[in-house]
Amino acid sequence: MGAAKEEHVCKSQDIPGKKWKFSEILADNKIKERWEKVRKFFFLRESTYDMTNKCNIRCEGCYYYEGEKQFAKENKDIDAWRSLMKAEKKRGITFVVLAGAEPSLVPELCQVCYEEIPLGAVATNGIKFISENTGYKIHISVWGNDKTSHKLRGAKNMLSRQIENYIDDPRAVFVYTFTRNNIDEAREIAEILADKRCRLTFNMFSAPSGYEGELRHNPSSLLHTRETIMDLIAQYPENILYSAYNTAAHTHQTGLHGLYGCSYPRMNPSTDIGLGRSFRQYRTDLTWDRDAACCVPDTDCDDCRHYAAGSAVVTARMFRHAVNPELFKAWLDYVDTYLSVWVTGYEKGKNLCDNLTAPPGFKVF
Amino acid sequence: MSLEIEKIILRVAEVMIDELKLEDVTPERFEPDVDLVDEVGIDSMDLATVALVLQDEYSIRIDEDDYPKLTTVRRIAEYVEKQLNK
Ligand code: SF4
Ligand code: SF4
Repeated sequence: MGAAKEEHVCKSQDIPGKKWKFSEILADNKIKERWEKVRKFFFLRESTYDMTNKCNIRCEGCYYYEGEKQFAKENKDIDAWRSLMKAEKKRGITFVVLAGAEPSLVPELCQVCYEEIPLGAVATNGIKFISENTGYKIHISVWGNDKTSHKLRGAKNMLSRQIENYIDDPRAVFVYTFTRNNIDEAREIAEILADKRCRLTFNMFSAPSGYEGELRHNPSSLLHTRETIMDLIAQYPENILYSAYNTAAHTHQTGLHGLYGCSYPRMNPSTDIGLGRSFRQYRTDLTWDRDAACCVPDTDCDDCRHYAAGSAVVTARMFRHAVNPELFKAWLDYVDTYLSVWVTGYEKGKNLCDNLTAPPGFKVF
Repeated sequence: MSLEIEKIILRVAEVMIDELKLEDVTPERFEPDVDLVDEVGIDSMDLATVALVLQDEYSIRIDEDDYPKLTTVRRIAEYVEKQLNK
């Protein structure tokens, strides 16, 4: 291993059994600097909003068309959306996620949300361009190469259309969802996106409740995905917004709820503090239901490895990671990744850890 | 109220103000019974930061599961005092 690489491998295991104080962990300048960078964003309080119940394509395994959400009656009244956003702001919400089915079909509603709460992200399939006036992060979903997209999503030339819309757009992050069947296609996609200077992050297909299809992961697909991601991070460090700890957490055999305990209301009965208190998932009729509220309702929670869930679930578990420098560095990489993926203008730093660190209380796999 | 708890309240308030960068308030004027979630707007991440600093300072352990109980500066100070006397 060369000197340059060694510098980024975590070494805190040098002192086995030591009980670290937080101030001792922060004594490392690199850790301190990254900590100061990320903690400026602790004010983020998110909620999510389904903008429309229509989509211009239909994908296999789509969460929106599982369960009850799809039957909510659309509210297209701009004033109603503006009032909702004002009320949300008053409630302390500082970050909005505009999602399912396809927000780009209602650009005027997205714009109103942006005018009232200027930090947020839009989850889109990227076929229809969202005006630059809406300054949110744009998350463009990629499910494989064009052949696979055609098969699973019924749309032709998906990637070239997405790139054409969002090339050199600082808002854009392409989100590659690993299913059991498209793992090797990720290399081809990463190469194309890197060549076009696009940014890429990763999501893991997490089965909707009752899903019987063939996209659900198994231990060997998780391991294969893990190896693929680690290679891609090393190969395209400028284009890929991900870290070794993201990889360890999201490709673990145990899902996010098992590893960290999900803090979204659907799985967290507490209303005392944090997401359980503030998070709401609004449907297109502007109602919300505490029992269904999570970033991706109708997912089988035992299989949940969603990137959006991890952003909240892992990030909120700072306390568990502040036990030694290695684990804290891994957590800082995770938070730095999350902020670069979700917050406009936030630039990801160089990962502090190159190795797969185990989530607190678990082994690496 | 014991002198000890008064001192801890002041220190907790100071840490809170420092860590959360609260403006226009001094530790002496920080109302110890104000609801930190509802009125100050702190979240679990903020609380974790404050808890880690207090842990270091008093060499005590603050259990993550106890966060929901730590809803005011006075409650945090009482928790710290209890851990100190363990
Ligand atoms: S693009 Fe998204 S909302 Fe539309 S069908 Fe596919 S997964 Fe569902
Ligand atoms: S699906 Fe995931 S994010 Fe949603 S409640 Fe279940 S574990 Fe949490």
